[in-house]
Order: sequence, then structure tokens, then C-alpha cells
Amino acid sequence: MTGQPLVILDASRSRRAGKGTVRRPRHGLAALRGVQGFRRGVQLAVALYIVWVVVDRAVVAAAGAMGTSPESICPFGGIETMVTFLTAGAFVPHVHSSNLVLAGAVLLLAFTARGAFCGWICPLGFLQDVAAGLSALVQRHVPAAFRAMRALRRKASPLAVLDRPLRLLKYAVLGWAIWGTATFGVMVFRDVDPWIALLDIGRESTGFGLIVLALLLVGALFMDRPWCRYACPLGAANGIVARFSPVRLERSAAACVDCNLCTRSCPMGIDVAKATVITSADCIGCLECVEACPRAGALELHVGLPVGGRA
Amino acid sequence: MDTTTPTASSAWRRRIPPVAYGALVVAVFAGVIGLGIASGTLQTTGRTIAGGERVAPQGETSNEVKGWMAVGDVATAWDVPLPELLAAFALPADTPPTTSLKDLESDLFSVTALRDWLDTRSAAAP
Repeated sequence: MTGQPLVILDASRSRRAGKGTVRRPRHGLAALRGVQGFRRGVQLAVALYIVWVVVDRAVVAAAGAMGTSPESICPFGGIETMVTFLTAGAFVPHVHSSNLVLAGAVLLLAFTARGAFCGWICPLGFLQDVAAGLSALVQRHVPAAFRAMRALRRKASPLAVLDRPLRLLKYAVLGWAIWGTATFGVMVFRDVDPWIALLDIGRESTGFGLIVLALLLVGALFMDRPWCRYACPLGAANGIVARFSPVRLERSAAACVDCNLCTRSCPMGIDVAKATVITSADCIGCLECVEACPRAGALELHVGLPVGGRA
Repeated sequence: MDTTTPTASSAWRRRIPPVAYGALVVAVFAGVIGLGIASGTLQTTGRTIAGGERVAPQGETSNEVKGWMAVGDVATAWDVPLPELLAAFALPADTPPTTSLKDLESDLFSVTALRDWLDTRSAAAP
């Protein structure tokens, strides 16, 4: 996705292959076989459900009634109202019990499967994947676009030092959203929330949210999942809980051939090739690295003790 | 399951096949939502309760006030003259009582501001 040709491996071959066998890479639509096809199918199904809710709401509203609010299926609303709910037993405006149930589902999923909500379910993550996929497609077929992207990457490489500190920004956004909502009784993040802007597009004054949405989609043409890396407060909450998960990716240094394909395939920019146990709070559980790994047994998912992957 | 290739010291560990991981993700997420639906907890609107019965404002606590409620219904339930309520937030005096609160939201008026105003008003009442 990051301008490199998409390289995903044939999982069916890997099952037949013995430990340490080199697997053959797959390209294009063939890359959607196996677990990545499963993941894309889940992402697409969730995205289509959201589209249905938004269209249904628009049709019902046009008929003079009020349908189910798309905001009621946003898990972050449940996290934002958590303090108000626990202290006053009330929801802040625009939040219903469905938001709390979904927030519970996301946090339980973070514990049982780390960042899988972001990698498998979140429609905003899927939109960024689609933008990145389009970018990669254009670069593959238009040599000038590929060269321009390569030159841009080279020029922007000094900015890589900002990557690590900027990843902390999402925790600040999470803190601000929870504190602001508890203090002022309204969802302070709502006005800048690209998800709400997308759900309520054309219905409410979500001007700044639309700008954020446009920025993140344009950004996704140049970098995988910029919103998830730097700004998503739900991803931050997810990452905090995921630190206590008994599920983790493990790299076997003995089987690894140091090809770096895992690091290059990671949409969150995690340096998988240099880790032994991948405990990064940024991991979205997409398994792109596992699929990219040419050695069976070099990179695998495990569940085990102690939780958090630390011995 | 394969328990070979240990990379970290661990008391107990099992390999998870990628497809099983995907199935776990779907099962956990859909399972919690299914439980929410089955228990009636998963309400996507404050307008009806689980059985589909419409919620009407009772005028007991300000937390009841929701954006979908009509300004006239709120005024009636909390026993506030509508002109007084409209004037308190500089809303047009000819605002139809059927207008929902969220349609009246502005810099001067919000559901939260109305809740605070109702609390203050009832606290000041003899």
C-alpha cells in the first residue's frame, strides 16, 4: 500500500509447506484469497451496513419522520459519555445505550484480539485503506505518479523524526474528548469528528469535521492510515486496553530471513522486523505482516501468558 | 496447535491460525451486539423503549430532556410557560411548539443549556 507493489502470500501454499519453507508472493486480486479476503469482506460488510443506515435515515427523514441516528452506532460516543454515565447515570446529548454497548464491544475486542476493531471493522479505517489502494493502483499503472511519489517520499524523509511524537497526539485527543465531555456536558470532539461528518453529511453543520475528513482521505493517498496513526481517539482507547491482551504477534528470529517485508507491509508503520514480540499499541491486527512473511513459522499469532506479551 | 518457535519466555502459549483470529474478531464483536439486542440494552434512539413504546417527557429530571423532543412538550412537562422558555434563550417568540430542540440549537441554545436552565429554575422555585 505504501507505494510498493502489493505483496501478499499464498496462504494455501503455506499450509502445505513445512516450517521454514519459502512461500510464493501473490499479487492483485489473488492477494484477496485467504485471511485478507476474509478481512476485506468483513470491512466491506460493515461499510455497506453504515451506508444502509445513512440512506435509510435520509429516506425516513425525507418522509417527515426521524429514523435511527447513524451516530447511535458510533462506539466512541459510548466512551465519551462514560464519565457522565457513571457519575450521573445520564447520557450526553446524541448518545444512546447503543453507543455504550458498542464501546463495550470494541474494548472487549481490544482485550481479546488487540487492535482488530481498527483493522477489521472500523469503516473509517476501511475508507483510508480504499484511498491507499487507489493510490497504489495509480502508481502501479502510471510510472510518472510512481516517480512523483518516490520523489515526495525522499523529500519528506527528514520529517520521519516527527512520527513517534505525533503518535502521542491521539492520546491527547482522547483525554481532551473525555474531559471536555464530562466537564461541559456535550461531546466536544463531535464538531471535528470526521466520522460524524461522514454520517451526517449534508444534514448538520459539520464543516470542520468535513475538512478533517477530506484531509485524512487525501493524506491516505500518501501514507497508510494517517488518522489511525496520529489522531484517532478510539484507536488510542483501543491501544490502551490492547496492552493487556494475551494475544500477540511473535517473530521467530531463528526462522526470520530479515527480508523486511513485514515492516514494509505494515499499514501502521510498525517496525515488525526488529521486534520479537509485537506489543505496539498501534497494531491493528490486520495480519498484513503475517501474510507478507515468506517463511512459514517466522511470524505468527499467539495467545498466551503473561498478558501483554511481556515475560 | 503448533506451540513451537518460542520467541519470548512464556508460561503458556498457543498459536492462533489467522482465519481463526478473524473468526474470533467477528464472533466477539457480533456476540456483544447480539447480547445487547437480546437484552434490550441496544437502544439506538431515546424516543422509544425496548417494546417500541414512545417515550414522553415526564418533567422529573432535566436529564430526560433530549434533542428530539418538541419545545412545546418540554415546556408542558416542566410546567414552564413557552414564551418564558423562548425568551430565556432569545428564541423567536413565534417558534412553533412542535419544533424539536435540536432544530433550535445555536450559540445561545443547546439541550445542555436548557437542562441547566431547568435545573436553576426549579431550584429557585419556592
